[in-house]
Amino acid sequence: MTALMSVSEAVASRRSIRRFLPDPVERAVLERVLAKAQRAPSGGDTQPWNAVIVTGAELARISAAIIELTKTAPLGAGVEYPIYPAEMDGRYAAQRMAVGQVMFTAAGIARGDRAARFAQMRENWNSFGAPVQLFTYTPSYMGKPQWSDIGMWLQTVMLLLREEGLDSCAQEIWAMYGEAMKGLLGIPEGHIFFCGMAIGRRDPEAAINTFPVPRIPFEDVVRFEGF
Amino acid sequence: MNVAEAVMTRRSIRAFKDTPVPLETLRRVMDTARWSPSGCNFQPWEATILTGAPLRALQDKMLVTPPQDPREYSWDDPEVIPQCLARLHGVGAAMYTAMGIGRDDSAARDNFMRSNFESFGAPALLLCYFDRRMGPPQWSDVGMWLQTIMLLLRGEGLDSCPQEALSLHAKLIKDHLGVSDETHIFFCGIAIGYRDADNPVNNFERERVSVDGNVRFDGF
Repeated sequence: MTALMSVSEAVASRRSIRRFLPDPVERAVLERVLAKAQRAPSGGDTQPWNAVIVTGAELARISAAIIELTKTAPLGAGVEYPIYPAEMDGRYAAQRMAVGQVMFTAAGIARGDRAARFAQMRENWNSFGAPVQLFTYTPSYMGKPQWSDIGMWLQTVMLLLREEGLDSCAQEIWAMYGEAMKGLLGIPEGHIFFCGMAIGRRDPEAAINTFPVPRIPFEDVVRFEGF
Repeated sequence: MNVAEAVMTRRSIRAFKDTPVPLETLRRVMDTARWSPSGCNFQPWEATILTGAPLRALQDKMLVTPPQDPREYSWDDPEVIPQCLARLHGVGAAMYTAMGIGRDDSAARDNFMRSNFESFGAPALLLCYFDRRMGPPQWSDVGMWLQTIMLLLRGEGLDSCPQEALSLHAKLIKDHLGVSDETHIFFCGIAIGYRDADNPVNNFERERVSVDGNVRFDGF
């Protein structure tokens, strides 16, 4: 086990890693993380999260199948939920553009270079080189509050991974092929596929892992009254 | 406090001390919580944190107002599913037993439910709301942010209780805060304060399914 890490250090040092080192991740470490993450809260103690954790040949098989699918259905197929709201304006549109711009600039990709942007996007299907994927799904009857519970669990996992010296990248993009993912993972009927999470060790030298991630000041979205 | 300790010692606290929560501590927590992730960096979360007179005024209103109809959102649908119902009843039974409230003592149970609207005596209350256009994945983002806050609070020696029950008064809360009901959905409260460590309601054994119940490993 690596050195213990404070909560704030874990929160501040977690970032979406888009280039991983090939070092394998031990199953025992993942089991330790997931056992602790079961303590994440959920309304009515529903514990609505479910996951398949995949590595090695099994992960290669899934990646290859989805890459094959992108050739015939580049805009997705069997999408089960809208990954982004249809119309986003104001700060949402601005924040989306801001992170894209700074990321592609860091990767040395020019604004108009669509081919290079597409190639960078395709790296999602290789899990950015991460040796492990955690694919999350939930029963279809779960409502929006349970999706929030799943988010609490996912972030708990990502912070516990930091304490183990591991990194992650949450990837909703796999939901572009939700139906196919369920088939590939053997997820039973009556469930919805949510997202992937690449897990491994960050390449600390890669520019795509070190650009300053933009965040709005908390005062823009949080108010205090009565203090 | 390290991450694992924060995760393991966080629990929904239902009896708080009246020790006030310093503004500076909350500002530090909210500043760090900005680094919580969100799809496309939307950062869809918004909140107001109340204490003192504005909190008391809101609680007084909630205590004398019947729950809104229709609901802000459906938060108990999964309870009709047997598996979820069993888990809900499990935690409910453990909690009421710890408090010495009998299975049939509906007056005592109702009374305890009402203490939700006083945030179990917590001196601060975070009220979370966001743009109505947000879909299920953005609700997940908001959940990540809320759990980030709850873990950071543990790191500051503070405790919390997420309260979806407050959505029974969503419109009243938005009106109290001056938040638009047209553009924003109210999600939940998070009671914030210091736990009453000796109170049995904060000490009963909590059940969780084993990892094998939720997670499968392939290819290892």
